[in-house]
Amino acid sequence: MPAIIALHKVQKSYQDFPVLDIARLELSPGIYWLQGENGAGKTTCMKVMAGLIPFKGEIVLQGNVSSRQHPVQFRRLINYAEAEPLYPSFLTGRDLLELYLGTKGGDREHIRQLVERLGVKGYLHNPVSTYSSGMLKKLSLLLAFTGNPILILLDEPLITIDTQALAVLYDLIREYSAKGVTFCITSHQPLDQRELPLSGTLRVADKNITLV
Amino acid sequence: MGRVTGILQTIFVQRFYIQNTLFFLVLFYLLFGVVNGGNLVSYHRSLMMGFLGSLPFLLIVLALWALYGLKCAGFVLKTFQTQGFEFLYPTLGSLEKHRRMRLWLLIHCGIYLPVLVYGGVAAAVGIAHRLYVPAALVVVFNVLMCLWPLAVYERKLHHPDVNFFTGHLQRWLNRRFTKPPVLYFIYELLSNYPRRILGVKLACAGILWLTFYLLRETGGFDIRGLALGLMLCVIAHGQLMMQHRAFDDTYLGFLRQLPQPLWQHYLRLAGVYILLFIPEMAMMAANNIPPAALLTCFALAMSMLLLFRCLLYFPKMNAEIHMRYVLLSSFVTLFLVLGGYGWLAVAVMLPASLALFLYLFRSYETYVDQES
Repeated sequence: MPAIIALHKVQKSYQDFPVLDIARLELSPGIYWLQGENGAGKTTCMKVMAGLIPFKGEIVLQGNVSSRQHPVQFRRLINYAEAEPLYPSFLTGRDLLELYLGTKGGDREHIRQLVERLGVKGYLHNPVSTYSSGMLKKLSLLLAFTGNPILILLDEPLITIDTQALAVLYDLIREYSAKGVTFCITSHQPLDQRELPLSGTLRVADKNITLV
Repeated sequence: MGRVTGILQTIFVQRFYIQNTLFFLVLFYLLFGVVNGGNLVSYHRSLMMGFLGSLPFLLIVLALWALYGLKCAGFVLKTFQTQGFEFLYPTLGSLEKHRRMRLWLLIHCGIYLPVLVYGGVAAAVGIAHRLYVPAALVVVFNVLMCLWPLAVYERKLHHPDVNFFTGHLQRWLNRRFTKPPVLYFIYELLSNYPRRILGVKLACAGILWLTFYLLRETGGFDIRGLALGLMLCVIAHGQLMMQHRAFDDTYLGFLRQLPQPLWQHYLRLAGVYILLFIPEMAMMAANNIPPAALLTCFALAMSMLLLFRCLLYFPKMNAEIHMRYVLLSSFVTLFLVLGGYGWLAVAVMLPASLALFLYLFRSYETYVDQES
């Protein structure tokens, strides 16, 4: 079975300062905890994997979708939720949700249920400038579950959301994982292994990522 | 209450005059510096008599005062939105309404004072010369200009998230329509930088008005003259382009993660500039420009705007370097247009912008100058 994601000679520098230099990394389906100190390169690694920032090398999904040769299909299969999401102040949650549904696809009825479960419905029509950090975080998590991804990258998903939303998030990760979706989660807080059965831990250090 | 008034005067009135020192220096020079000291009183009396005695002139003066009034109200609203001034909401919101209204009035009159003084003197001059109706118009207009902003300030206090473009209409629209990405930058300008886009559009209107005037004066329509005015309008849009890039960099990173082909991103970019340039095209159409010339001008403007915007995808392209390339490209384009090769310029610039976009978009990321 091909790896869900394979990184080949991935290098990333900010100006002349190298941040990542990963010779090879392959992940099988599962739930992974991406660990590392502040500034180790966790967020950069996620942004590289999500196709948000340019890098050298290649990332291949499911053995045949290349970040270089199939950039559109690549982005359809990976979703990413930022640690501190930032959107234009005048956009509403609905604007963003419709944009994601229109480009990433997905089942509208299922998303409508997610909206209710995450408690986003009450403010979906308001501009994001009126959202608290927790509300904004829930919206970005909702967007990360939109479409038909095979890999979802969650950057610090546990911060700022309330306990009720946290329980829903754990449920969603388990449900999606059971359907074959792989998760890569960064968190400085320990992940509850009773809630999330981890497949492995990825450690970011010395510009490299190793599967522990 | 006296202490509260003093603090608010410092926050609003003093800051307003300090931030607009240059504006007032220029205004003071124009009103008092260009006239011989001995003739100053008679000069201003004549000026006042001039606008009190002519309705079109009076309307122009009232329009200028209205613009100043808008600037004043805009400053107060902007202060509320400025980081560090959030304490104004709970503090002013705790006051009884009549006290707060008095404070609003003091603040606004303090900022609007130059017009009040000049308008008051003009009204007195009008009454002395039995020009009762124009004098009454000046008084009523200025009273209204002091009162309507109070309602706006009250509304802002109770609706902190509501700004220029997020009022009732916008809330109604939010429930019924979703904003397409092509409109994001227009919304950003209208919501957060209304004065900037208004300034650019007024400058372009002035350039085009002057172009049409000169074309009429020099014996009729010449597409080369029109294209020259058009190019100046495109260059005036340069500062909006820098704003556009900053907006994309800060807020629209998530669009890069969407599964969209490059040509869709390029069309979105082109759509932004087509929408931005509609007022200029409408002004040209309203001045009876022949359809063929209108099409040429549209193609020329779009190719220039897109090329100049795509230049900003080069990683180290700062405002200074960008302006150099803009001026250099405009210079070459000018000669092509003067030689009657406007469409050749379009045929070069439009594909060039597309090529730059396709080559640079995916590899672009915000460049942080480490020396700055």
